[in-house]
Amino acid sequence: MPEEPAYSSAEEPQLVQWAKSGDMQAFEELVARYRDRIYVRAYSIMRNETLAVDLSQNAWVKAWQRLEQFHGEASFPTWLSRIVTNLCLDELRRQKRARTDSIEAMEETTGPVENRMEVETIDPVEGLSRGELRERIDAALAKLSDKHRTVVVLYEFEQLEYREIAEKMGTSIGTVMSRLFYARKRLASLLKETLKRDGLIE
Amino acid sequence: MNENETELKVQALVDGELTGREAEELRARLESDDGLRTLHARLTAMRGLMTGAELPRTLPESGDFHWSQISKAIEREERQTKRLARPASGAKRLLRWMVPMAGAACLLLLLTLQQTTQPYLSISLGSDHELELSIDDLDVMTFNTGDDNMSVVWLDYSIDLQQDEIDLWLD
Repeated sequence: MPEEPAYSSAEEPQLVQWAKSGDMQAFEELVARYRDRIYVRAYSIMRNETLAVDLSQNAWVKAWQRLEQFHGEASFPTWLSRIVTNLCLDELRRQKRARTDSIEAMEETTGPVENRMEVETIDPVEGLSRGELRERIDAALAKLSDKHRTVVVLYEFEQLEYREIAEKMGTSIGTVMSRLFYARKRLASLLKETLKRDGLIE
Repeated sequence: MNENETELKVQALVDGELTGREAEELRARLESDDGLRTLHARLTAMRGLMTGAELPRTLPESGDFHWSQISKAIEREERQTKRLARPASGAKRLLRWMVPMAGAACLLLLLTLQQTTQPYLSISLGSDHELELSIDDLDVMTFNTGDDNMSVVWLDYSIDLQQDEIDLWLD
């Protein structure tokens, strides 16, 4: 009887190779290794637990169907991350059709918001661990509009270039730059606010 | 270049998206412009804060349950794909041909019936003839071509006509 491959100790390229040939157990091992990472990316964009879980599942299904298209130019988790990001953007587009974006409405009536804000100075705070700072950044990100948060996530976490973000979001590079600039100003302002409130800065 | 454009270029410089001559020119400008230099420093600090700042999270459902959902969805999709790719059975293939053919036959029958119910007008027209009709409700248009020795007559007989009700006089 042939011995079953040792999935848990197998290298990622080997698992991908097995999965490509139809081995569901190898694919299950890949899911186990990267499920949290994919969920985190979906959650960062969507800010909704249920949607993030659903979109992560869909991303895995799509990944299985498109495994033949994965040739290892990027790492497997990076490739997966692109899939879930695209699904999130599709979902945001679908949602956008059903509601008005508040920032867009403001721009239409009073001019670009970013012109009325300063970039705050945020110095690394002593006594605040990296984990605590992450939590505060996360809370600030949650307060951004979908389109501003998405640009930040795609640039800072997904590490895409301006051009790639513009293509994915179906907008111009100028708009991406403008949204990113505004988002950073707003994030800095929100962070300063929370740090001041907790007496961590004056 | 307006102020907003310059700010966006400073940001592009911080992000490594501005290169070549434009980047050189902006760097030179930063040397002499305190405001732009401050903006550059603040954006650089912000980038530093954001690096690796994505909060780690754990999937809010068990790994087994997550996998079972994924594997079920994969199986469902594969069944669907196979069903769509499967060749049609003999009866289905026959039905695929029969439906359009039956439709065409019905259409042909309808046209034939329409033809046979039209009033039969046994008239022969030469060129330069005028047409008169005994029924006022019937519209008629004629067109004569002397060169081709042909007359075209349009009759609007949408009203209910009996063949013997029509009398045509040609002069």
